Amino acid sequence: MAELGYDGVSVRVRDDLVDAHRRAWQRLARPGTWWTGAERVGIAAEVRAAWTCALCARRKEALSPSHADGEHDQASALPAAAVEAVHRVVTDPGRLSKPWFDELIATGLSEGHYVELIGVTVTVVSIDRFCRGLGAPLHPLPEPQSGEPSRYRPATAVSDGAWVPMIPQRNVSGAEAGLYGELPRTGNVIRAMSLVPDEVRQLRALGAVHYLSERQMIDLTAGRTIDRAQIELIAGRVSSRRECFY
Amino acid sequence: MLLRASGEIAGTDLDVQAISDRGAADASGIAYADVLLAFADAVVDDDEEQLAAARARVRRELGDAQLVDAAAVASNFERMVRIADSTGIPLDPPMAVLSEELRGTLGLERFGSAANTPAQSTAERLLGPVARRTASGVLRLVGAARRLTGYA
Repeated sequence: MAELGYDGVSVRVRDDLVDAHRRAWQRLARPGTWWTGAERVGIAAEVRAAWTCALCARRKEALSPSHADGEHDQASALPAAAVEAVHRVVTDPGRLSKPWFDELIATGLSEGHYVELIGVTVTVVSIDRFCRGLGAPLHPLPEPQSGEPSRYRPATAVSDGAWVPMIPQRNVSGAEAGLYGELPRTGNVIRAMSLVPDEVRQLRALGAVHYLSERQMIDLTAGRTIDRAQIELIAGRVSSRRECFY
Repeated sequence: MLLRASGEIAGTDLDVQAISDRGAADASGIAYADVLLAFADAVVDDDEEQLAAARARVRRELGDAQLVDAAAVASNFERMVRIADSTGIPLDPPMAVLSEELRGTLGLERFGSAANTPAQSTAERLLGPVARRTASGVLRLVGAARRLTGYA
């Protein structure tokens, strides 16, 4: 299969973005912590199916998502709870709730499976939306690689105010040393994925090229070809349009 | 909040209202705000014609490299909002104190995910205005010092 690239796109894409996207796509195909490579690529397929899913469209229009019943337009062999999670996170993230999460977990989807599923989902959303923003075709999904997930759960992850367990800042040591980078304090949005440490690593790698490196983040004058105020304006607008309080 | 902070350190007053009201773009103090807001909206919306027009406008008025950076930032936050909303994280405590006024200005408390952040204590509410004024003053001082020394 051809390596991911942006050769046919009418604008030049930065090398660091191309490299990060290639690594993310390679990782997508490999067995993860809780899902196999085939399941991870299945999650990616569900991300793309969600945008045109009839049930998701009806729910999006409904006063409450629970007012629309039916089945998702499924694109993989994933369990129904996983399909529900991917489709809702893609199409209606602003109305996710703790009872919705609790119901998913009650069906047997483990917290580890859920966090990794979110990690794969948001990676694909991010790279696909970047392509769409540029007018570039979506990258073909990779061929899954064989192998078993590691099923590694960090012993230091605890309940810490979110729906999912997280590793507190003070507990990053051993296999998780350096997980939160070099800054003395990291945000909850980074810690959110720490039940699956590899998803934090993925998140930080993409964030550094899509947005800013951690050092640049705390330097409020740092920008790219658009300045910091322009960067934060886009960030704030997307967050507001998606009804994200955080 | 980082938008306001970036203005304070640059020594300029930015009107953050444009984040929730595109009509306020021209008064925001941010160069090409309307072009970038139209592009951010088009990335979020499902209308391909709207997106093509917004993309062409960024290329025409800012440039190709700026389009790449704008698309990268918009798609980054398509990721971040979903992480925050799907994991039920609360606002980080310092951010909760410092951003209270801003959340009111932008009407963020109406979003469902506001339920993930506990209500502020009386002490935090009392501390908030002082902390915000102090942080604003420090940022403006740091910015002024950097400009004086040519470090900015």
